[in-house]
Amino acid sequence: MLLALRPRRGFGHGIERVSGRRFRWSGRPALPVAAVLVALTVAGCSNRNSSPAAGTFTPRVPGVLTVATALIPTTGFWDGTSEHVTGGFEYELARDFARRFGLHSVHVEIEPFQRIVSGHLDGADLALALISPTAERKQHLDFSDAYLDAAPTVVARTGTEIPDLAAAQQMRWGALRGSTFDGIISHLIAPDDPIRLFSHDAQIEAALEDGAIDAAVFDMPYAVAIARGSGGRLRATAQLPVDESIAAALPRGSSNVQAVNSAIHAFTADGTIDALTRRWVGTSAADAENSIPLLRTEL
Amino acid sequence: MSVLPLAALSVKSPAGPAWEFLVLFLVVLIGPPLLEKARLPGIVGLLIGGYLIGSNGLGAIGAGNTTIPELGQVGLLYLMFVAGVELDLALLRVHRRAVLSFGVVTFTIPMALGVIVGISMSWSVAAALLLGSLLASHTLLSYPAVRDAGLASHPAVATAVGATVITDTASLVVLAAVSGTQVSGGSPSSIALQILVGLAVLTVFSLVLLPRLVRFAFRHLGTGRIVRYVLAVTSLLAAATVAQVMGIEGIVGAFFAGIGLNRLVPNEGPLMERIDFFGSAVFVPVFLVSVGMLLKPSVMVEPETLKLAGLFILASCGGKLLAVLASKRSLRMNRSEALLVLGLTMPQAAATLAATIVGYDIGLFDQSVVNAVLVLILISIVAATLLVQHTKSAVSPVRREDALGKRILVALQDTAQAPIGFAIGAKVAAPDGGVVRALLYSFRANAAIMEQRLSELHRDGFALGIDVDPALLVHTSLAEGVIDAAAAEQPSLVLVGQRSAAAHPTLGGPGEAVAAAISAPVAILLGDVERIEEVVLVRRDHAPDSNDGQVAAIAAELARRVGGRGITVYQLDSSRSRPDVAPGQLWIASADSGQLNAAPEPPAGAAMLLVLQPN
Repeated sequence: MLLALRPRRGFGHGIERVSGRRFRWSGRPALPVAAVLVALTVAGCSNRNSSPAAGTFTPRVPGVLTVATALIPTTGFWDGTSEHVTGGFEYELARDFARRFGLHSVHVEIEPFQRIVSGHLDGADLALALISPTAERKQHLDFSDAYLDAAPTVVARTGTEIPDLAAAQQMRWGALRGSTFDGIISHLIAPDDPIRLFSHDAQIEAALEDGAIDAAVFDMPYAVAIARGSGGRLRATAQLPVDESIAAALPRGSSNVQAVNSAIHAFTADGTIDALTRRWVGTSAADAENSIPLLRTEL
Repeated sequence: MSVLPLAALSVKSPAGPAWEFLVLFLVVLIGPPLLEKARLPGIVGLLIGGYLIGSNGLGAIGAGNTTIPELGQVGLLYLMFVAGVELDLALLRVHRRAVLSFGVVTFTIPMALGVIVGISMSWSVAAALLLGSLLASHTLLSYPAVRDAGLASHPAVATAVGATVITDTASLVVLAAVSGTQVSGGSPSSIALQILVGLAVLTVFSLVLLPRLVRFAFRHLGTGRIVRYVLAVTSLLAAATVAQVMGIEGIVGAFFAGIGLNRLVPNEGPLMERIDFFGSAVFVPVFLVSVGMLLKPSVMVEPETLKLAGLFILASCGGKLLAVLASKRSLRMNRSEALLVLGLTMPQAAATLAATIVGYDIGLFDQSVVNAVLVLILISIVAATLLVQHTKSAVSPVRREDALGKRILVALQDTAQAPIGFAIGAKVAAPDGGVVRALLYSFRANAAIMEQRLSELHRDGFALGIDVDPALLVHTSLAEGVIDAAAAEQPSLVLVGQRSAAAHPTLGGPGEAVAAAISAPVAILLGDVERIEEVVLVRRDHAPDSNDGQVAAIAAELARRVGGRGITVYQLDSSRSRPDVAPGQLWIASADSGQLNAAPEPPAGAAMLLVLQPN
């Protein structure tokens, strides 16, 4: 006689009773999860401004974020004039900082780049001026975590090819005085001709377009922005194998570093930085690290 | 005499990947033993080592380095994956009521205290919730010490272990939710919908799709151990990616992937050993070193950080203590057991660190909070280690019989029986997340020939998706060899393969000799069947408490596990003639010596499993 057997859920012999069912949550553990999801809604309702857990920002002028920068306009980063800033990556970043810290306005001060990197912010809460943190600069300033990766990138006239280091060495190079690029070109490229130094980025762009120099080095996002703004005359040709980044500079000993760091983390995580890059510097800047070829500097 | 041109020699300062990884692995190598010598947990050595090599310490690894933090992120995913894959789901099921009640209590109390602490410091609701959740989770860092003391099966320990599933899952859900509110824009309802949909997709992917895909891959690709390991790593990365795509933190995906693969990766199997090995040797230490690189002693000793750390310790350790006190009576724990459970649930590490780092990365927490949590982690680990050290000896071990499928030993003389033997073993082991181990018996003279056949066993196991890790059993007697092996392996079930009933006398044969000598159930496998089309359980009426009744229950359980719902029953009584066994059938019967003696020879293409009375 063959009978259909109903599966038994256990067995004897002093062995623990184990059902053969797959492990499944019963309904009850869903309760804490449901409670958590309700809590979520509460969390979602709370505003996304900074809280003390993310550090406290204390501006020098109550209610106002005072930002120092070097030059307006700086293509893609500071648009307009020093009297009337109309946009740009770093300006909009400053406005986002202000919103997060609950400040009602942004005040912009212009300081020469050299003064900024030597620690003279002259009352500004922070400086946003395409500044790469270096050991030397850290002696005068505190730096936030990086808000952009910025491998030094070569800009040249469209049509100028730099296939290898030997070709690069035969070119005439230019760099901004006081920037890290002078040393990077000397160290990595070691060009045959002396490097020409300029006081402003605009002068370098003009020298490139005029043919006074063949190539110059800028931070990657700025290099992309310059190429974009040149109407096709200039091109970001190659990136150099150096890890560089751009960060906010704060007065030495500032108590605001942690709050600025948290803000940068939040803006990176929620896509604010990416959106600002795409809007002001160009879509290509967001993907530049993968699209601009690397110039090998070791033979 | 020529002068060596020493001046022409150039020595560069070390840099590049080789230098960075050298420094990293030196910390992994030296850090833990140094601290363990000072009777502190090795994890502390990794954190301190990370600080020393990081930009806040000696600066051997620069602030702009992304390789080690990224490898650390993979380590974090790996840590959560291992937490999921190591869970003993069978134990969890046995103590489910206690686990459920204690899990809810030990999550809710620290969570509530953490939220209160956050709100009292004017933190945002999201930050306070995340704080509560990270304080409510715990990591079973003390478990190895408790397991080594023979207390793994103690109900109190099993409850604490099981509760970890609830606390960590709930914590990770809160983390997913909070990070969702911070990272994605949109209204609370759209965020809640996003998270619910994300969790649903992740659950389906990790718990339904992934196990099937991996099982298929184990059968068709997993013929080598490297491939099987890479499949496990690929699975965790795939689940983490799915989670991220759905707007949920990758660690939640990695944890879910671990639970999804829990049954496919038995805790005592070779794959688990490999996962543990790479985790312990590389991934997890690198994660801890990368966390250590965040340490900033100048921030840690700031009054604000110490105040935060004090509050966190109070909320977390105090909350865990209150949870134990609240559950002590209902779980019938004595004082030592309660302290042991506290020692198990107090350490904060994996989920706590994960949630904290995520909170830091999304800008919800600043460095003071991270450093305060690191202080909490150090204190909780050290306190829990000391607590467990002092209480474990006061708790009496509970002898718990292994689940039937925990460790199955398949002893074969003929490799032709391997497919059916392993298929039965795999099906019996599956519900318990157990392992199947193969032994191929050989006389000494034939050992060299049989050694070559081990690869066939390997292949037969992989074809079923299991790694049977076959070994050669060289002995003058099959029965004595299996008895010796059983003494070493402590199996929960032994299958002794016997190609035909005529090969050995069943009465007094090797199967019965093994059954007489070991305490685990033994079954003799007669014949072989290429594909089991029908499982037939032979049943006789027994008193349930009699020995025969217990063996019959084992036979019934084996039939249920092998045949699922489709088994048929053959009711045996004295008036009936001996059954006819047809090809494609597997007959399972309890047997005493008399029946063994009269065991029918299964026809070609059919098999019988005769379950014997254990010693």
